[in-house]
Amino acid sequence: MKLARIALAIGLVAALSTAAASSAAKRSQAASTLKIGVSLSLSGDFSDSGKAAKRGYELWRDVINAHGGLLGKKVQLTILDDTSSPTQAATNYQNLITHNKVNFVFGPFSTLLTAPSATVAARYGYAFIEPAGGGPKVFALKLHNVFFAQPAPVLNSADIFAHYILSLPNAKRPKTAAYPSLDDPFASPIVDRVRQLLEAGGINTVYHDIYPAENVDMTPIVAKIQSAKPDAVIGGTQSNDAYAQIKAMIQLKFNPKFLFYTNGPNNPAEFPSKVGLANVKGIFSTGSWFPQQHSPGNKTFVKAFTKKYGGTAAQIDPTSAEAYACGQILQAVVTKLHSISNAKIIAALHKGSWPSVQGRLRWNSIGEPQGQDLLLEWVGTKLYPVYPPKIALHKPTTPKPPWSS
Amino acid sequence: MHNVIQATILGLLTGGVYALMASGLTLVFGIMRVINVAQGALVILAAFLSYTLFGRFHLDPFLSILVVTPAIFVLGMAVQVVFIRSLRGAEGSELSLLITWALALGIEGVLSAIYTTTYHATLPSYADTSWDVLGYRLSMVRVLAFAASAAILLLLSVLLTKSRLGRSIRATVQNPTSARLLGVNSDRVSAIGFGIGASTAAAAGAVYGVLYPFNPGSHYDLISRLLSIVVLGGLGSVGGAVVAAMIMGVVQSIVAVEISPIWSAFSFFVVLLAVLLVRPQGLFGVRERIV
Repeated sequence: MKLARIALAIGLVAALSTAAASSAAKRSQAASTLKIGVSLSLSGDFSDSGKAAKRGYELWRDVINAHGGLLGKKVQLTILDDTSSPTQAATNYQNLITHNKVNFVFGPFSTLLTAPSATVAARYGYAFIEPAGGGPKVFALKLHNVFFAQPAPVLNSADIFAHYILSLPNAKRPKTAAYPSLDDPFASPIVDRVRQLLEAGGINTVYHDIYPAENVDMTPIVAKIQSAKPDAVIGGTQSNDAYAQIKAMIQLKFNPKFLFYTNGPNNPAEFPSKVGLANVKGIFSTGSWFPQQHSPGNKTFVKAFTKKYGGTAAQIDPTSAEAYACGQILQAVVTKLHSISNAKIIAALHKGSWPSVQGRLRWNSIGEPQGQDLLLEWVGTKLYPVYPPKIALHKPTTPKPPWSS
Repeated sequence: MHNVIQATILGLLTGGVYALMASGLTLVFGIMRVINVAQGALVILAAFLSYTLFGRFHLDPFLSILVVTPAIFVLGMAVQVVFIRSLRGAEGSELSLLITWALALGIEGVLSAIYTTTYHATLPSYADTSWDVLGYRLSMVRVLAFAASAAILLLLSVLLTKSRLGRSIRATVQNPTSARLLGVNSDRVSAIGFGIGASTAAAAGAVYGVLYPFNPGSHYDLISRLLSIVVLGGLGSVGGAVVAAMIMGVVQSIVAVEISPIWSAFSFFVVLLAVLLVRPQGLFGVRERIV
């Protein structure tokens, strides 16, 4: 009996020692890591983009940890799935901050999820560096902790095309333009801005209308535009409506001198397979990042990305680059301040410009970036940044060459 | 005037493809009072199958109809036998809505896992070919799509009017109880009817992929259009579905050109409401009397 008591006592002491050692190890590990929390759409409507953002965040984590971490501490990412739901995204950030006690948070995918998530982060005083919430809904919140990691707000993303057109000599400028646009907050307001800029520059509007998202057949709309004989067609599109418009143009043998879409042609991995590689020539679009861009850390990013995930540089989803940029910005500010205080980080990011694969970014007081996007054009069978000239990798080719068939 | 005629041509060609999809939906309703809300998902499933056959084996999308249609016919029959046959009584129709909706979501989920949610397009070498006929442009794929749809609808019509199976199907549509009393095997007719309904979706899907970019979620827009067509044509009337699809194609196309694309989809619903006010049973539907 006595022996049994001794054995029990030894067992208890051993168990307590193990628990204490384990707890100490955990504390030591916690002290040697920096935790960053992210909510991403790994399922649901935005899952493709959510997964692309995940690749960008995880690549940045791997690159920084391979170089000794942040302030000498390993970076640990906690990524929760929000199922593309704004409510779940807000709940995830609440949990990441209060339960997981992360040191920092990065943004989710899309404006829809960023707005409620940034509000939660603001409540707890966390900086909210985010890759994809560039719509007016986010900036209307007037939050001081938001930093959109792209060169320009979404609403201004096509201004660059208007600037390019107005930079052309009069003889080469289009005289008339048509503006078909999807009824979408990320399409029609962008094109309306371009229309106002071009109308102020003396370019007449001959067609201006919006169509609903359920409108899959673009041929009647394109036929109507064709009858107005515009020199330029400037479309506010997502992706499938841009593909459908181009297919309709080819079939109706309508080839405007200038053809610009806000989205669709800026996806080099998808666009050629939707309209035919032979038909991409001379089509303009806009983008925030390009694989060959001479921006801080871009070569490292592209090399590491293709090594880790395979494929070619042209196949990298820009969302991955945007997420990677969030990591770079945090890295730069933490290294400069030598502090992990979110308050200090927020104050610092509002001053000066910060390096990223998206270029050097700077923001106003509500997180709107103060730069401009790139004008992209399909030259031959490749997509190049063609404007502004200091970033361009190729000269713009105008007027647009005829369709292949 | 040129724009209106061009829009009418485009509307008729588009309407032909929708007629094919809607004919299967209305046929299934006629036979077994089942509203197959998975019809749109079956169209998209067929579009992906045809896309894969074209990409992997270079099988022309129009020829792929010969492969895709029997495959989806078998799938349709299996769904009917396994999930729908057991539903009897007054609740059968309502429960079948849930089951076919689950089927639609299941198909969408599987397609999303395999093909992701990005848009796809089937692009044969002649995808961009078009002809100038008296100053109006006729796209080759649209003409082919219309011709294929018309040929399949003709086949369906011959099957329904000339064959023993067709007579059984029509008898079941008109009066299921009498048909059973006269020796029609309603289980067999229902299974084959559901398979035929799914087949029309399959044939139209192979064509749809050539005409429009599509992704696994494209079925939501499709099914809302198809249900509207079927209601306008008269539930259970294949001929009505064909006429209603043509009306939809032409009305939407003309409104998009002459008024604004934003009113295009809405305009069809105005026509639908106007017709239903005058003929609640739809253009060619039969008013049922409850005794």
